Amino acid sequence: MKKLDALNFYELLEVAFDASPFEIHHAYKEMFQLYHEDSLASYSFFSRGEREEILAKLNEAYSTLMDEKKRSQYDQILIEQGVLEEEMQYQRDRKKLSLLPHSKRPSADTALRIRDRLKIMVSSNAMIQEILAHDVLSGSDLKKIRDELGVSLEEIAETVKVRMAYLRAIEEDQFEKAPSRIFLKGFVRAYAQYIGLDADIVASRYLKRINN
Amino acid sequence: MPHIWPIGGGKGGTGKSFFTGNIGILLARQGFKTLLIDADLGGPNLHTIVGLPNPAISLSDFLNKKVATLQETVLEMPIHNLFLISGAKNKLDIANLAHEQKTKTLRAISRLAYDYILLDLGSGTSFNTIDFFTLSNSGIFICIPEPTSIENIYRLVRSVYVRKIRQVLKIDRFRSLAEKAEAQHEDAVINHPEYLLDMLKEMDPEEGSAVEKILKAFQFKLVLNQVRRQDNPKIGALICKIVEKHLGMKIQFLGNVSFDDRVHEAVCRRESFVDKYSYSQATLDLRLVLKGITGMTDEQAIAL
Repeated sequence: MKKLDALNFYELLEVAFDASPFEIHHAYKEMFQLYHEDSLASYSFFSRGEREEILAKLNEAYSTLMDEKKRSQYDQILIEQGVLEEEMQYQRDRKKLSLLPHSKRPSADTALRIRDRLKIMVSSNAMIQEILAHDVLSGSDLKKIRDELGVSLEEIAETVKVRMAYLRAIEEDQFEKAPSRIFLKGFVRAYAQYIGLDADIVASRYLKRINN
Repeated sequence: MPHIWPIGGGKGGTGKSFFTGNIGILLARQGFKTLLIDADLGGPNLHTIVGLPNPAISLSDFLNKKVATLQETVLEMPIHNLFLISGAKNKLDIANLAHEQKTKTLRAISRLAYDYILLDLGSGTSFNTIDFFTLSNSGIFICIPEPTSIENIYRLVRSVYVRKIRQVLKIDRFRSLAEKAEAQHEDAVINHPEYLLDMLKEMDPEEGSAVEKILKAFQFKLVLNQVRRQDNPKIGALICKIVEKHLGMKIQFLGNVSFDDRVHEAVCRRESFVDKYSYSQATLDLRLVLKGITGMTDEQAIAL
């Protein structure tokens, strides 16, 4: 086990090097729950001084990683130390849409604009068109399309209000995880619609496999 | 080899005997030959929980050599497959067990032929309790979501940690290690046993990593008992996280057991809770916990 002082900010918050600000925000909240002054779970475990030290370090990690400029400076230091490789770094463009913290989620209006943009991408992408030509669609087909469009699951979860676990289950074809068939259909529809596909067609082709 | 589950919790009143008795009944009903041992030497009452007010023979008869083997102190319970070694007739000064009596008892326990042996331990962190607790690597902590209990859990975990280092090093070398560690950190032995290990690793890397290995072999479990609706259900998982992160010991959270007023009623009537209230939330919780410890399949757990 590494001692707390030896941890870098990513290790301290238990997030990946390419974590989005959204993920960092949540990781921080979880950690704060563990260490804050009135936390029942860590009651009596730390002395006052120790607790203050940990919290100060958590806050520093949070404020550094949430600030784009500070984060890239910090990443540079880690790259020089050989801890972080450049390609593992957080790429703003790839995860652009989930970059916003919880309180600034895209409004319905921007979600619409996103869908329009994605629709254009769908219609002009040969690989996606080829997948959509199939009679039956599997979870991994959907994932391929989503990856091609560069949309994260989190982002879908955030906007259409379906839990990550269900979205993941859809992509992994674990039908039994959905509360019921009706729900599953609804989730697939919401997923498809968000990434600019025809919800009815996708849902019926996806659900075809369960009938058999 | 039997599975031995020592059940401790530091603080009194967290439900150790309740948990031991009722989990024992569930195991026996599942067809496992299960032995409950009341190892709360100074304050035995497991026999009352399982509804046997006046046991004829108890652990002290083995310690006083009235009987030759520990097996002779085993009482058969009305429930098929369930057995008990009671502590009811222990002498009042028995809590301070002599070293050789303790070693003899510990050795005898691990030789008994049962599927599961559950040890109901006393509160506090006396050497007796700790040594019974470390008899196997699968000790179960029973905690309730209150600061007093959580405080004692941490104390117990740290005591086990220190006790293990002490057992490996023997007393003289342990003392010199403790002195050195305390010269650097005032409260190393009480609050930071991990510093002892760090220091040992610096002084003697080979022995240090051997001790670390022993400490890592523990696979503690934690059960949060008496969880009321307004309590944060995540507390147990958070406690485990603290222990793993800061002490480097493995501890698995088994789940919450709901608070139920009728436990009081069942104890007062000296009836077993899981039988009388088979479909209460608390009983369902106990079944889930048991499923978690034994790695039973869903079907087996439903059949409980």
